[in-house]
Order: sequence, then C-alpha cells, then structure tokens
Amino acid sequence: MRLVSRDISLLTGDRTLVDALDLSLEPGEILGILGANGAGKSTLLAVLAGLALPARGQVTLDDVPLADLPPLVRAQRIGLLPQGDEGGFFGSVADFVALGHYPFDDAPDLAPHWATWELDALAGRRFDTLSGGERQRARLAQLAVQQTRLALLDEPLTHLDPAHQARLLAWMRSEANAGRSVVLTLHDPNWAACQCDRLLFLHGNGRWQLGTPAELLTPDSLEALYGPGTAPLWRQGR
Amino acid sequence: MLTALAAVALGLFAGTLPDDRELARQILAELRGPRVAAAFACGGLLALAGALMQTLFHNPLAEPYLLGASGGAGLAALAGMTAGLAWPWVSGLAFAGSIGTLALAAALGGRMLARDHTPLLLAGVMLAAGFGALIALVLALAPAERLPGMLFFLMGDLAWASQPAWLLTALLAASIAATAMARRLDVLQLSPLKAASLGVAVAPTRWTLFALAGASTALVVAQAGSIGFVGLMVPHALRRLGFAGHRALLPACALAGGTLLVLADTLARTVIAPRELPVGVLTALIGVPMILWLLRKP
Repeated sequence: MRLVSRDISLLTGDRTLVDALDLSLEPGEILGILGANGAGKSTLLAVLAGLALPARGQVTLDDVPLADLPPLVRAQRIGLLPQGDEGGFFGSVADFVALGHYPFDDAPDLAPHWATWELDALAGRRFDTLSGGERQRARLAQLAVQQTRLALLDEPLTHLDPAHQARLLAWMRSEANAGRSVVLTLHDPNWAACQCDRLLFLHGNGRWQLGTPAELLTPDSLEALYGPGTAPLWRQGR
Repeated sequence: MLTALAAVALGLFAGTLPDDRELARQILAELRGPRVAAAFACGGLLALAGALMQTLFHNPLAEPYLLGASGGAGLAALAGMTAGLAWPWVSGLAFAGSIGTLALAAALGGRMLARDHTPLLLAGVMLAAGFGALIALVLALAPAERLPGMLFFLMGDLAWASQPAWLLTALLAASIAATAMARRLDVLQLSPLKAASLGVAVAPTRWTLFALAGASTALVVAQAGSIGFVGLMVPHALRRLGFAGHRALLPACALAGGTLLVLADTLARTVIAPRELPVGVLTALIGVPMILWLLRKP
C-alpha cells in the first residue's frame, strides 16, 4: 500500500504554507514532520488523511485519489490521531478505545491493546476523569485498535512520560516491521534523529525539505527552521 | 419499563372518579387516557431531543430549547392568543414559530457545522434571547384576561394536547431513527476530525441530529407549550446512572422522559384539585432535587 502526494500546496488565508510538495510514503517507513507552530503540520496530516483537500495537487492511495475512496474504506486503511479534544465523551475508557473499531463490522478484540498502552487498570474508569497522559494513551490505543496500514499521528508524544514514550516508540517500530507506515509530527529533534527513517521540514513559508535525519539535522538547519537560539536543542552532535 | 407501566397506571387512576361506572369509563377513555398518552409521548420526545442536542453540542447542559425552539413558538402562540385565535390555530402557529426559529438559526450559524458547532450554538442562543425579550413585551402589553392562558402555555400544560396518537407515533419513529444511528452518535462525541477519520460523515450526521431533535421539540411545543427541564435532566441523570452509549441511552431517555412527565402531570392535576398547576413547574420541582442528589455522587 502506497500513499503518494503529488505537487500539493497548502494555504492558510492567502499565505502559502507548503508549496508543491511531492511525498511518497514507503511501506514500513517512519516519517517525522518538524516545523514551527503554525507551519502547516496538522493541516498536512489532515490532507494526507483525506479529510481536507489541498489547495493544489492530489493525494492518492494505491493510485486512487483519496477523495474517491468511500469514507469507511478510507477509515479501514488510514488512521489519524488528531490533537485531543473529546469534551463531549461521557463513556468509559473501554468504550472510548472500542470506538477505534467503528469502521469494521465484526466485534473488536481489545485485549492485546490494554497491555501495550498500560490501560488495564483504567479500562472501567470514565474517560473524562483521566489525566492528560492517560487520555493520550487511550487515544493511542483507540488508533491501534483501528489497525490501519498507515497511521498519522499529530504530536503523539504530548503528555507522555518517558516510559510511555518508549512504549509508543516500540509500537511504531512494530508497525513499521509489519510493513505499515507511520507519520508523526513532533518538536524534539533528538527524538526525531533516533527514531525516524526520514524527516520532512516545513518552514511555513512554502519551503520544505525532505531527507534522512543525518542529512537534515544540523545546528544550522534547526536555526533555519525554528529561528535563532534553537541550535542548543540539538544534542546529537556532542 | 415496569416503572413506566406503573406511572401510566397511576396517571390513569389518580384523582377522583365518579361512582357511575359508565361515566368513569368515559372519563378514563376520553379524557385521562389521551392525556396520559400525550404526557408520555411529550416527555419521551423531550428527553430524546435533549440527549441528541447534548451529543450535537458536546455539552451535557444542552437541552431542546437551547436554540430558540420554545422562544419562537412562544412568541407566535402569544401573538395568536392576543389576536383571539382558537387553540388549533395557536398550536399551528407555535409549531411554525418553533420550526422557523430553528431554520433561522441553521441559516445564520450552520455553515461551519462539519468542523465547528459554536456558530450554530451562538445563533440559536441569540435568537432564544431575542424571542424571550419579545415574549416579555407581549406579556406586558397583553389584555389581563388573556394572561393566565399565556403563562400556562409558556410554562407548559398538557391540558391542550389534542393529538396523543400523533405524538406517540412521533415518539416511536424518532426513537427508532435515533437508535438506528446510535453507533455513529457514539463516534460523533469525539472531535469532528477524529470522527471523520473513523469514517463518519460529520456534517450530514450533525444535520440529521439537529433535524430530529428540532422536529421532536417543535411537535411537543405545539401540543403542550414549553415544558422545561425534562430534556435537560433525563439524559443527564441517565448518563450518571451509567447509560453512556447511545444504543442504551436513547431508548432509556424515551421511557424515562415519558415516565417522568406522566408522574409530573398526574401531580399537576391532583395536588390542588380541582385546580391544575402548570406541569412545567412540577417537572422542575421533581427534577431539581433529583439532579442535585445525583451530582452529590463523585
């Protein structure tokens, strides 16, 4: 399964965020997207998920334009973890996680996911009583239940302690080893360097760069991406 | 279910009946029977509409009248009463006022509904506030002898409900339609983007919710005025009691809302018989302590 975006441009108002992006996701690849706040990372994820249309260009899945896929078929193949906002959810954590199985008709098998995200003890709790990190784990479990060939994660590290970041990393690696692709946005260059196969830099002015961490991550490139004074965030070189 | 049956029986036999068996039979079949049926249907429709509005707006405080469904109906009905129209016309005006207000709210605030429900909410709340002011104006200017009728309409009164069969049919149809989309509604509680990524068509589903809740509310308002509190309280209380998923919540709302309104109307009829109280006062008097008691639990 292959997701290809050809010549896509993203705008906000009349400002160009991303200009003429060509991106082909390989099976089993982990791609990290870095960029300043408002550079278009979340917008790009929504476009890659088929939930928003680019101002120009087209995204295809196995040569079929995303816009032509029936919503349920698309949901069986592409999963999205948006930044959280579930103010209206009144049910239990187990109910919340099970919603990830909505695109499928059979009964979900939730059992393996409780241990992966360390949610066993929380399954019976009401979702709205969880802490920020616990909610994020429940969101990740909900996405894992969807079992898509492509997972798009918007700042999945948010609220996670290092132990659960490690669990997220292990999950992403096992997805990649099974031939699935993972795209995530993140702000930590060190995490990006260790864990991503490729990186996409969005400069927020239309410009973008695609390459391996070794090619893209340098103190100078970080200052070009985030602004002056940000080079010390990068510790890999020391 | 049993509680609902018990409430209906109580509704039928509470209060005095004459010794003449034939006359008693007539009162039960032609007066109390239809009234109990109308009360049950109205209560069920309001609770159902409330649950749907709470899902639509991601807010447990949403209720059927939030978008002006009762304000528009109230103003139209009061205008009809001031003009001295008979009840069927007033009822028709109330229905038109209710639907008209909801349509106006949709036209003013509905454009972004796929992503954001706030504009619709704001437009509706503004319309409700505007109509509230106009209702106060009509009350201030209306001839004194018409005021009691107007107040009963504004607080809700089942004495006028003349179409129990229609109302029961509507309750059944709305319950089935809403429960049929229960799984989609569960997903709709997530953020719009997440719901869309799971394959739910967010905008059409939200519009269906809005139409179903709006039509249910308008029917009730046209038959019985603005009976408050059922639509807010019943779904809220049922959620607290563990009915979280829509598949269980929506049918439970129809039953519990109907039961509550039958009980409230029975009390409204009998407490100071032969005079009657507006049933909306009773629903609040029963409902407020119940909700406060439920809130006490963590």
